[in-house]
Amino acid sequence: MNRKMRDNILRGIIYLTAFAGMFMMVAVLWEVIQRGWPALSLEFLLQPSSNFGAEGGLLYQTLGTIILMAGAVLIGFPVALGSALFQTEYVRSEQVKTFFRAIIFSLNAVPTILFGLAGYLFFGVYLATGVSWLTGALILAIMILPTIQASIQSAIECLPEKYREVGMALGLTPWALARRVVLPQCWYGAVTGALLGLARAAGETAAIMFTAAAFSGATWPRSFADPVPTLQTHILVLAQDSADAVSQTNAWGAALVLLMIVFILILTSLVVRSRFSMEAQR
Amino acid sequence: MFSFLVPDRRCHADPMFWITVFFAGLVLLVAIIFFSYLIFESMPIWEQGVWAFLTSVEWEPAEDIYGAGAMIYGSFIVTTLALLFALPFALCGAVTASEFLSPRTRLVFKGAMEIMAGAPGVVYGLLGAALLSLWIKDFFGLIDGATLFTAGILLGIMILPTIMTLAEDAIHSVPGEYRDTALSLGLTPLQAFLKAVAPRALPGVIGAVLLGLGRALGETIAVMLVIGGLDIVPSGFDLFSPGQNIPSKLGREAAEAIGSGLHWNALLALGAVLFFGTMLLTGAGSWLLRRNKV
Repeated sequence: MNRKMRDNILRGIIYLTAFAGMFMMVAVLWEVIQRGWPALSLEFLLQPSSNFGAEGGLLYQTLGTIILMAGAVLIGFPVALGSALFQTEYVRSEQVKTFFRAIIFSLNAVPTILFGLAGYLFFGVYLATGVSWLTGALILAIMILPTIQASIQSAIECLPEKYREVGMALGLTPWALARRVVLPQCWYGAVTGALLGLARAAGETAAIMFTAAAFSGATWPRSFADPVPTLQTHILVLAQDSADAVSQTNAWGAALVLLMIVFILILTSLVVRSRFSMEAQR
Repeated sequence: MFSFLVPDRRCHADPMFWITVFFAGLVLLVAIIFFSYLIFESMPIWEQGVWAFLTSVEWEPAEDIYGAGAMIYGSFIVTTLALLFALPFALCGAVTASEFLSPRTRLVFKGAMEIMAGAPGVVYGLLGAALLSLWIKDFFGLIDGATLFTAGILLGIMILPTIMTLAEDAIHSVPGEYRDTALSLGLTPLQAFLKAVAPRALPGVIGAVLLGLGRALGETIAVMLVIGGLDIVPSGFDLFSPGQNIPSKLGREAAEAIGSGLHWNALLALGAVLFFGTMLLTGAGSWLLRRNKV
């Protein structure tokens, strides 16, 4: 067997295995689309659910997911932006930077269920927000904080040194430098961070299932103390009783809606990043 | 005292400076509160004996007896299975994308993988509960499809795109000169990859795998729906038996134990063990990935 043949055989095996992996990903998507699609209709999206979520639509579940993810980003984004700017614009010492990076890193490594456990007791009990959408938004805000901050920070760290040097040569204060030089060049990092944060918050179940979500009956929150139904927990509950055909169709429909929300957010963030990061580095 | 800041006195009069200080401090505070909460709330369990808690398989909230053995075993088995299942597909996919695809196709492929890597765990949970566990039940002739094996395969599928895209980054970041030199010596592209690129990319690839494992270890919902939820260590490494892993245990019992005595402490001790595990995996993983880049 000459080496060309051996090469081709090995390459064939690698391609086949890679293809099998791709096939699995496509199969995952295909199963969700094929089973969820029949359930999708305008009524399904615009009707409240009935019979403990087994029948009816998804109106309040979708609203609940949107409220939680929007709340999380509204709370988390300013904190992440401020903290990222402090570390890149005001801190000079490498040790302090490394220390902050380690903090963000370890927050990022926390399994999300632990945020649910600790967050419930801290916000829900000590700060008395109870099982409510506010508790959920606060917990999700902490969860997505590292995502947003890492995105902003890596964009700022990619900024060529000459931009900063020009600003400093003009005698700008650090804040003027951040506002007039850094942010106009690195805004895409903030946008992708916010989008990825939204996507992560929308896909998260473990952190909110006993802190923010009501399984049935809840509708539009009327106060800060009301829980909301969410798509994630709706799917979780329906997945557990697999006997009923109608509720299964609804579960797949909800899964498809959730998957589309998350995918559109990530796709937008990828597009923003690839289009504008190049512009900033020219 | 503030020598770690940029030496610009104008900062101190600038309200924006203090706002960023406030937010950075807030992040620090959140982290400190969270980590100390985890430590202090699990203390009562550690005082009863660390080793006893980690190895005992008895978990009886009614009698206040807590042992994490079954959950630790379950987490270990499920994560290992996920790794064994995902690894060949992820590595071959990464090699194909980095070495043999045109730049355009590669970008599309990478984008697709990054999007798939963000798919919510609960969607995988539904797939597992409604399809995979039934398939496994029929295929292996089991009584119930909710087993350690099912959870491991489901997690493997779930972390596949994560490992693939990170491993691809690691392979692609090996400078082109290595490939060119190998090719000019008469090696075929595949040999060039195996002999010249793969050894350089190895630490980064291992890093990618560890990060994927960190994600698998902490995943709650997908596992909870298919693992069976039985706190046992099956005899003789039986993979087709129901089991329990740490996040699934936390997800199932948190609501009933909230704030109540030793049961809650035991759950947080489990949480601390879980956090230690993910921290170790992701810490080592990203250290290897970063080292690879320099």
